Amino acid sequence: MRKILAIAWKDALIRFSSLSELLFFVILPVVFTVLLAGGTPSGNEDNRIRLLVVDAAQTALSQQIITELENSSAIRPALTSGDEAEIQFDNRQASAFLVIPEGMDAGSLQRGSAELTLIQQPNNLNATIAERAVLTAIRRVSSAISAAQQAVAVREAVQAFPTEAERQAYFQNSLGLAQSLQGNTPERVLSMEGATPDQVEYDPRTNSSAGQLITWVFIPLFGISALFAYERQQGTLRRLLTTPSRMSTYLLGTIFGQVAVALVQMLLLVGFGVLVMRLNWGREPLGLAVLLISAALSAAAFGTMLGTFIKTSAQANGLSIMFGMVFAMMGGCWYPLELFPPAIQRAVKVLPTTWAMEGMLDLGLRGGGLLDVLPESGVLLGFAALFFTIGLLRFRFE
Amino acid sequence: MMRKVFLIGIKDLKIIFRDRAALVFMLLAPFLLTIGMGFVTGRFSGGSTGITDIPVVIVNQDQRELGDALVELLYSADLADLMDPGAADDPAAARQLIDSNGAAAAIVIPEGFTQSIMPADRSLLFGQGSQGEAVPIEVYTNPSSPVSAGIVKAIVDEFISRVEEVRLCTLTSLLQLQAGGVNPQDPRVDLDSLLQSAELSQPASLTLKTNAEGPEAVDFDLLAYFAPGMALMFLMYTVSYGGRSILTERARGTLPRLMVSPAKTAQILAGKVVGIFFTGMAQIGILILASAVFFQVKWGDPLGIMVLILAAVFGAAGWGMLITAIARTPAQVGSIGSAMMLIFGILGGSFINLEMMPPFLRTVSKITPNAWGLDGFTTLALGGTAVNLSEPITALLIMGGILFGVSVILFNRRGVMGQ
Repeated sequence: MRKILAIAWKDALIRFSSLSELLFFVILPVVFTVLLAGGTPSGNEDNRIRLLVVDAAQTALSQQIITELENSSAIRPALTSGDEAEIQFDNRQASAFLVIPEGMDAGSLQRGSAELTLIQQPNNLNATIAERAVLTAIRRVSSAISAAQQAVAVREAVQAFPTEAERQAYFQNSLGLAQSLQGNTPERVLSMEGATPDQVEYDPRTNSSAGQLITWVFIPLFGISALFAYERQQGTLRRLLTTPSRMSTYLLGTIFGQVAVALVQMLLLVGFGVLVMRLNWGREPLGLAVLLISAALSAAAFGTMLGTFIKTSAQANGLSIMFGMVFAMMGGCWYPLELFPPAIQRAVKVLPTTWAMEGMLDLGLRGGGLLDVLPESGVLLGFAALFFTIGLLRFRFE
Repeated sequence: MMRKVFLIGIKDLKIIFRDRAALVFMLLAPFLLTIGMGFVTGRFSGGSTGITDIPVVIVNQDQRELGDALVELLYSADLADLMDPGAADDPAAARQLIDSNGAAAAIVIPEGFTQSIMPADRSLLFGQGSQGEAVPIEVYTNPSSPVSAGIVKAIVDEFISRVEEVRLCTLTSLLQLQAGGVNPQDPRVDLDSLLQSAELSQPASLTLKTNAEGPEAVDFDLLAYFAPGMALMFLMYTVSYGGRSILTERARGTLPRLMVSPAKTAQILAGKVVGIFFTGMAQIGILILASAVFFQVKWGDPLGIMVLILAAVFGAAGWGMLITAIARTPAQVGSIGSAMMLIFGILGGSFINLEMMPPFLRTVSKITPNAWGLDGFTTLALGGTAVNLSEPITALLIMGGILFGVSVILFNRRGVMGQ
């Protein structure tokens, strides 16, 4: 045990011999978590997509359209001038902008000549969402008119209007009634987030925090390969042959040290999530601990295996970052896995990052506990056993 | 003089291209991440996201016209690619399935849903309390599938909106008749045909024109944004790798050997810069070519692409030289370079679109060659030409010029080339 601790301590000293290691240890993970979480505001903030609206009409109708847009759950209208909207659009600071043209009023609506213009960035998801929301809003504004027009037609089918004035008055009354009915429409869709056993609030930033934690812990653990390569290059691995230490002692010491450092790193990042971002990582500490230890072991075992395939520390550094980034992206750590096609979602089950992320989401979003993350932890430990076995079989001191 | 500079540059280019690990990182990593972005953005599946076959559980306890119509919609051919619906009898079991991550959303259509909107006894439509007691549909969503859940909600919302529209038309007509002294149950009032005509009516009084169709429409390939995003991010690694070679050569003693040759210090430094420049050009060029060949990415004006690559590599090489001038060892250059690669990657828009970032960060992103480069690549992909690139190219050239100037001062002050 003393040897294992001594090797672990030696590796920690080598790793932190340069202060720049702190960049990867805590600074970059925090920067990435904050920046990526910034794109997904918490429940208290207005996370609707901003839609620039140019109201050149300034009429009751245009105000009604804007009010309907404000009621949207997908977008929030931001009034601006035409010039400003174009500048922001051209600078790609806005996904889309809506123009309510001059002269748009109830008359133009009745005549059927009222047309809004939506300028969208091409192939932009936010612009597509904005289009759907605008269509819903104008459908609501239009439907009152349509209802009034229909009412006039129905009345005419039963009993003709004596004068045009009466017809017009009937239309106006119908419009008022339709708008009133519309305003009193009861809620017909009840939307609920997945229930959790306690009162945990869903926070989309949890996804960012979990994903970045896994990414930044896995990359240095994959970098264990660089430690092996470094020692091999320096010739210090060969020196170990002359000591009474066994190969397993050396490997255990290296892995134990790096996993211990990774756990400290995880603790810092979880602490940052809990204290600064107010995330609920502390809710199930036992489940979290089991999952994180399993994840760290699987990543460390992968690094061990990788170390038996490469020759230089430069190779190891590049490959560990590359594998870390690709595994993180494909494992759903950067973007929700649901965005990937089903075949890819099935294929990425061969990656430890997928299971680690799944477990984190069980804890953070689905209100799960220790029992819920046991399957993911089991798979991660299976990965650890597999990678470690391959690493052990291939490991050479020279 | 130029020949020596050129030879040193070519020598460094060869050294880098002989390093297989560096090549993997410079070329394979951005290529793999671009493929990942292609999946995320739906570029390889033809959609606006990669989402297809959203698993959704439907519990139809209504078993009447409107409940059945919603089920029919979810099973319709129009939504066949998007939705993967399944039926369940028990709402609690459906919710349990969502909680265990078995589906993206559950839709529970309660008993009495149709009756609450379209009562069998039509007189209830316009009777007292004509708004009726709401019997809402429940959409129970999986919090870890926010995008899929949002799509399911949008589909249900749109269905309800259409139903409400029909109801509004019918109710307004009937209540107005009643107010005008006409009995809505008068045999001349055909309620069924009224409902049918309301269903068919299109609220065309207010229309929406977009620029997504017609002559103004622009076909924008999302990979034309993300592929250069990844290439520019890994360009930062390349330039720091190139810069690292100066310190490596000094450590190995090959730099002093160069210094005793007839080549001047300025020529050696310029040669190193040219080496970094050549490598960066080769890296971005290969990645762009590969994206065009394998993914059929339309990059736009070739002249614009060439000029933009030159400017972007110049700007990035400036950062590479600055890191080299500041760092003391090759290892430091490596770790600072990797860190800068990642920070510039996220700040410059390689991972998330800059428009999603707060204004402050969008301003900060201007210090990165990634942001300017991506701005230029997007302009070209949107149909722009070299003429439209004046702003990003000027910014990149100024950035590179200033950084090179500062680097030379630091090199001289620290005597890096002189030792």
